[in-house]
Amino acid sequence: MSTTATTETPVTFSREIANLLHAAGGNPVSSCMQCGTCSGTCPVGDFMDVRPQRLIRMIDAGMKDQVMATRSFWYCASCYQCTVRCPRGIDIAELMYGLKRFTIWRSKYPEDLIGPTFSETFVKNIVRTGRSYEPVLATSYFFTLGLKEMLQEATGATMLMLKGRLPVLPARIKRLENFKRMIKRIIPIGD
Amino acid sequence: MKKFAYYPGCSLEKMAQSYHLSAVETARVLGIELEEIDDWNCCGATAYFHVDELLAHTLCARNLAMAESTGLDLVAPCSGCYKNMHACNKHLQHDHELAEHINFALEEDNLHFKGNIKVHHLIQVFAQDIPAVKAKVTNPLKGLKVAPYYGCQILRPRKYEGENVEEVSYFEDLMNALGATAVDFRLKLRCCGAALIITNRQAALSMVRNLLQNALDSGAEVIATACPLCQVNLECYQDQVNSEFGTKFNAPIFYFTQLMGLAMGIAPKRLGVGTEFVAPPPAMVAACGKARTAAG
Amino acid sequence: MSAQKQLLIIDDDPDFVDGIKAILVKANYKVDVAYNPKDGWAALENKNYDLLLLDVMMGRGAEGIMVARKLGKDAKLRNLPVLIITSIREQMAFLFPGEAVHPHFVTVDELVEKPVEPKLLLDKIATLIKTAEAKTGQVADAKKR
Repeated sequence: MSTTATTETPVTFSREIANLLHAAGGNPVSSCMQCGTCSGTCPVGDFMDVRPQRLIRMIDAGMKDQVMATRSFWYCASCYQCTVRCPRGIDIAELMYGLKRFTIWRSKYPEDLIGPTFSETFVKNIVRTGRSYEPVLATSYFFTLGLKEMLQEATGATMLMLKGRLPVLPARIKRLENFKRMIKRIIPIGD
Repeated sequence: MKKFAYYPGCSLEKMAQSYHLSAVETARVLGIELEEIDDWNCCGATAYFHVDELLAHTLCARNLAMAESTGLDLVAPCSGCYKNMHACNKHLQHDHELAEHINFALEEDNLHFKGNIKVHHLIQVFAQDIPAVKAKVTNPLKGLKVAPYYGCQILRPRKYEGENVEEVSYFEDLMNALGATAVDFRLKLRCCGAALIITNRQAALSMVRNLLQNALDSGAEVIATACPLCQVNLECYQDQVNSEFGTKFNAPIFYFTQLMGLAMGIAPKRLGVGTEFVAPPPAMVAACGKARTAAG
Repeated sequence: MSAQKQLLIIDDDPDFVDGIKAILVKANYKVDVAYNPKDGWAALENKNYDLLLLDVMMGRGAEGIMVARKLGKDAKLRNLPVLIITSIREQMAFLFPGEAVHPHFVTVDELVEKPVEPKLLLDKIATLIKTAEAKTGQVADAKKR
């Protein structure tokens, strides 16, 4: 692998993804031997349009548009079963995180997915208060649900309320101003 | 006396209050002091890594730095919080450039993280000394068949630290120490679906169904969890699982600390027993009665 | 103009790099590219550049800021002119809608947002290099005296 700046182009998609994980120290997907352990072990595999093993091969084959159009990494529950079992030491769960970041930064994901909106709402909420707040999360995706799911959701929330298990007011941390300035040193946006 | 910096996490504030109550009560009986970190913030859950990993590490680092300033190791009862904090701790200890940058941000809150602490999950702390737990059992949970549900993030992804993350038995040992019987729960390390219950409902419901079915098939009367997300997914979505798959699940799901507390004779109310949707099984009801009498 | 000026681009987006590199090469610059901060830093240490074009959102997050901060602390590289080219506002729009980019805690000479207008970019690069040369010239003069 090259470690110095290059005057050569183009850059493969596989390299682009490796760069995404580079700093985190993940093994490159190119070391995959296509054994299929990840796909076989994934508890969500049946629901993915493309299972991890194939997704990795697609990345290696440079199928950028096709990879970005899949939903499979938004189905990853971050259970790390694939990561701990991969004989090549590829941190597949981190790869899935990387792909999520990659598509969120470019706003390129299938529109009907709840995952990206959910993540964005979650982060927005914490940046403002320092804590997460379940009821706000509920409303963020509520209107993306079908009628049946919406009713189920409302029933579930009511049950939690009745049992005193949902907070009425959002919590916030005490040193919130410091906290917000801290975030601005990591994401340089705002005054 | 053992003392830890306690990081409850957002879920334990309200949704999983029974976990918080029972954690504090059982720790007290065991002579373990849990000192809540002042002004802790959200660990970022999984959503942060989807958006910005540097920000995710910064959030965890703030908590780590506050814990470190008290000179105590950090303990988290939520598996999600635990995994994030544990992983962040490792990253910052090994990646000095990352640590330098995160500390630059922490300056804004007058904090600095040196990387001198350990991060534990609550169940690891309790399971470390099984004889000590056994010694405090006054109300053994005789005849109660428990499925010990580890879930994912207590164990994974720590294989690079030389830990066996595939074959574990401390949860079973802990339950057996209470006088209960841990059943052979084959899917004990399988994922509950976590946040997919919101983002990809169908997938998560099917994962919950598999877990419930396997636990019941193993003869369990109750499933013990060590994570608020697992508890909520397994318990609160049973109705939806039933309507989706035509099943008739009505399985009680309790925190391992609630079972420990009962076995130690702590009044059920102080363990948050009563806020669950599915009533406890007969063997547990009997134990509750005895604990109530014992506690007066 | 004296010798050909040597530029380094650190940016993770190959499509953007392709476009901008073509513009710079046409304007008679020699251009090196690093597609991640680690390779970028290695290049900076191995070769003398006249200017750095630096992206912000790379890898785990705003790693461009880490590079800029590190440059500011490096005795040898501190005076290298840095031009930040970013679309961070768009990338993080959901989080801080409508707010400006503010790299004011790092020493950055200029900041432009993607997409960049070629003429503006070339003007800024030329000005930055000239200013930097004037500065080193002054230092050299002072040393001579």
